[in-house]
Amino acid sequence: MQYQSQRVAKPYFIAAIGLFVGQILFGLVMGLQYVMGDFLFPAIPFNVARMVHTNLLIVWLLFGFMGAAYYLVPEEAERELVSPKLALAMFWIFLVAGALTILGYLFVPYSSLADMTGNSILPTMGREFLEQPTITKLGIVVVALAFLFNIGATILSGRKTAVSLVLLIGLAGLAVMFLFSFYNPDNLVKDKFYWWWVVHLWVEGVWELILGSILAFVLIKTTGVDREVIEKWLYVIIAMTLITGIIGTGHHYYWIGTPAYWKWWGSIFSAMEPIPFFMMTVFAFNMVNRRRRNHPNKAAVLWALGTGVMAFLGAGVWGFLHTLAPVNYYTHGTQITAAHGHMAFYGAYVMIVLTMISYAMPMLRGREAANSNRSQVVEMWGFWLMTVSIVFITLFLTAAGILQVYLQRMSENPLPFMVVQDKLALFYWLREITGVVFLIGLVVYIASFFVGSREPEASVSPAPAEAGA
Amino acid sequence: MDMHIKTTEQPTRPAQRRYPPGDLALWIFILAELSVFAVFFSAYAFTRAQHVELFSTYQATLDCNSALANTLVLITASFFVVRAVAAIQRDRSAETVRWLWLAVLMAGLFLLIKGHEYAHHLAAGVTLSTNTFYMFYLSLTFFHFMHVILGMLVLLVLAVRTRRGHYSAAEHTDIESGASYWHMVDLVWIVLFPLVYVMR
Amino acid sequence: MTNTRSAWIVYLLLSGLTLFTWGVARAGYSGLGVTLLVLGVALLKGQMIGDWFMSLRGLRGFWRWVIVLWLLLVGGLITAAFMIATGG
Ligand code: HEM
Ligand code: HEM
Ligand SMILES: [Fe+2]
Repeated sequence: MQYQSQRVAKPYFIAAIGLFVGQILFGLVMGLQYVMGDFLFPAIPFNVARMVHTNLLIVWLLFGFMGAAYYLVPEEAERELVSPKLALAMFWIFLVAGALTILGYLFVPYSSLADMTGNSILPTMGREFLEQPTITKLGIVVVALAFLFNIGATILSGRKTAVSLVLLIGLAGLAVMFLFSFYNPDNLVKDKFYWWWVVHLWVEGVWELILGSILAFVLIKTTGVDREVIEKWLYVIIAMTLITGIIGTGHHYYWIGTPAYWKWWGSIFSAMEPIPFFMMTVFAFNMVNRRRRNHPNKAAVLWALGTGVMAFLGAGVWGFLHTLAPVNYYTHGTQITAAHGHMAFYGAYVMIVLTMISYAMPMLRGREAANSNRSQVVEMWGFWLMTVSIVFITLFLTAAGILQVYLQRMSENPLPFMVVQDKLALFYWLREITGVVFLIGLVVYIASFFVGSREPEASVSPAPAEAGA
Repeated sequence: MDMHIKTTEQPTRPAQRRYPPGDLALWIFILAELSVFAVFFSAYAFTRAQHVELFSTYQATLDCNSALANTLVLITASFFVVRAVAAIQRDRSAETVRWLWLAVLMAGLFLLIKGHEYAHHLAAGVTLSTNTFYMFYLSLTFFHFMHVILGMLVLLVLAVRTRRGHYSAAEHTDIESGASYWHMVDLVWIVLFPLVYVMR
Repeated sequence: MTNTRSAWIVYLLLSGLTLFTWGVARAGYSGLGVTLLVLGVALLKGQMIGDWFMSLRGLRGFWRWVIVLWLLLVGGLITAAFMIATGG
């Protein structure tokens, strides 16, 4: 670690992992409620668990992005953060606000929470992923502004690199698109229309810039390939992301009451969205194959490669599966969507945050470059357990989804929703069991931070280029 | 895939070169762009197959003369760009600047003519929702229109930077990249013009 | 090195072929034969742009053929669609 202020990343990473555990626990609760309807009734209803599961996901990913930025920016800008104190203060504000919001979800009926927090003054609550009370949303904006100021000022007054500029654009875009969560028109079509400007333009727009730049940073550090080469890839990837992703929003405008041309625009542009994800996969493998040195942190390289593959599978392949209007006509809002949502979120954003944590945490905890071999082996077990579990969760949900689409929407005698759900119980059980394996993987992953910490650092074997020459 | 991003150091004897002029990363971008257009074109053609009457009827309302003018304008711009590259290869940067500006001018002219066509449609009350033909016609041409704007900006930046002495016979990868991008914009129109205006 | 004389020739050919296409449109010809002829002319023009303006002519390997392949793909799909339209 070259700069003292990079240290502020550490609490962000720790909080991220902590909230990740919470997210998974609530996922398991819901998974069980799917097959045992009255589990935890009336303490934690399904809709509350769902809200907690998804909001925790978003919040911990935001913690992860901020931590990644605080670690990455000083090194790229070659100067200390403008204000490490501000970064720490924002950490606590964000953590407390987040915790209070989750507690509010759990212990106060949602409508009372809305009353208590003055939702009627500026109503923004009640929409998927954006359930947070208005004051929490305002808090997020304040934290985001302070954060952007901090890293923006650092980047602009230091060395400007493609990696840090793309990251800055991505993070600024994240904040700007979030502003649409304050727009809550009465017209339901318009409401949905702009809701997607937050949700879709996040994960298939600006977040992809964040993903690309973090991946580029870790690859520069671990492979030693020329920055110039890596930055060119980054430019091509983000250009393609924006060209396809912005109009690709149209794949959510098929059935909400928008004009018909969206069926074409959405289908054509979103069908191209897998391209930048595919490029990312090729990019990661290409750079690792051309590496100039072997980095001792093998776990971080594994996470980076895993991100490339899983993001392409989850977003690219599983996204493409249901993105054309004639297909989406049948699959819209089924378990296919949930399957895709899980693999895409995990493969792209969970994994990139874990990649950065894997790369940075050893240094933040006083290592030269990497953890001990034993710790890395455990971490890689965590990697495989979680990754294989999410693959299976996705496969089970996809199977459930196909069956659901058929029984409910395509067969000669379509069955009602709940009748079909009963018939899918087997897949839901399998999903739940796999979810437990995921949790075990997460525990193993966390354990890797505690094993082998007294042992010496993993050493480097010679790079293939040197060995061959 | 073996990726040598810098392609200027390759042997100059044509028969031995492996990579196109300009930055290879840009060529990958061009490929991606071309695939979007390929999908768009086929979507047009296959949809037309189901509405032949409708398409012919409304194709007849398009202004073929403007399209002719615009095709010639784009080809001319491409020719100027070729001349700009030739000039910088011979280290004549003042000449390069002139050719680039002429190409920018042509791009501007294209936008004007196309804008005039759009104004006409707008006045006639045509929108994306009027019918499937107009939906395609407007979407396709407008998507291309945006590419002309982008290509024009690229050429403009290149002109300014050449003027400031950034490029020489020895190093002009950016100019070759920009030129390739512009030719791509031209190439797409070369297919779009007959497909939308002429083929009924 | 780019040859300005061949650029001139290609430029004039492209313009001439454009006029031809326009002439077909003005004369109001239609039908599969004419349509495919117009398409063929466009593909030829595209190939000239790739070979001469984009300077792919002297390369070897994938990049030599990239524009040709794109043109064949697009041309093939469009041809298929137009044949379906007249056939059925
Ligand atoms: C990392 C990137 C991505 C993430 C995190 C992601 C996540 C999600 C999530 C969570 C949903 C469900 C939203 C809801 O209705 O609540 C969704 C829906 C959808 N996604 Fe993605 N996605 C990503 C990329 C893509 C890509 C690249 C495509 C297309 C190629 C795609 C196509 C779709 C479609 C068509 C839907 C709507 C499904 C429906 O109609 O029910 N996604 N996505
Ligand atoms: C890192 C891992 C995980 C991620 C990124 C994740 C993400 C998500 C997302 C984005 C949604 C919303 C999906 C949509 O709107 O279609 C969701 C819903 C859900 N998740 Fe997860 N999740 C993860 C792990 C789990 C686990 C381990 C389980 C349980 C075994 C689980 C169970 C559920 C359930 C039951 C829903 C509700 C689906 C519905 O509304 O019908 N999740 N999760
Ligand atoms: Fe989307």
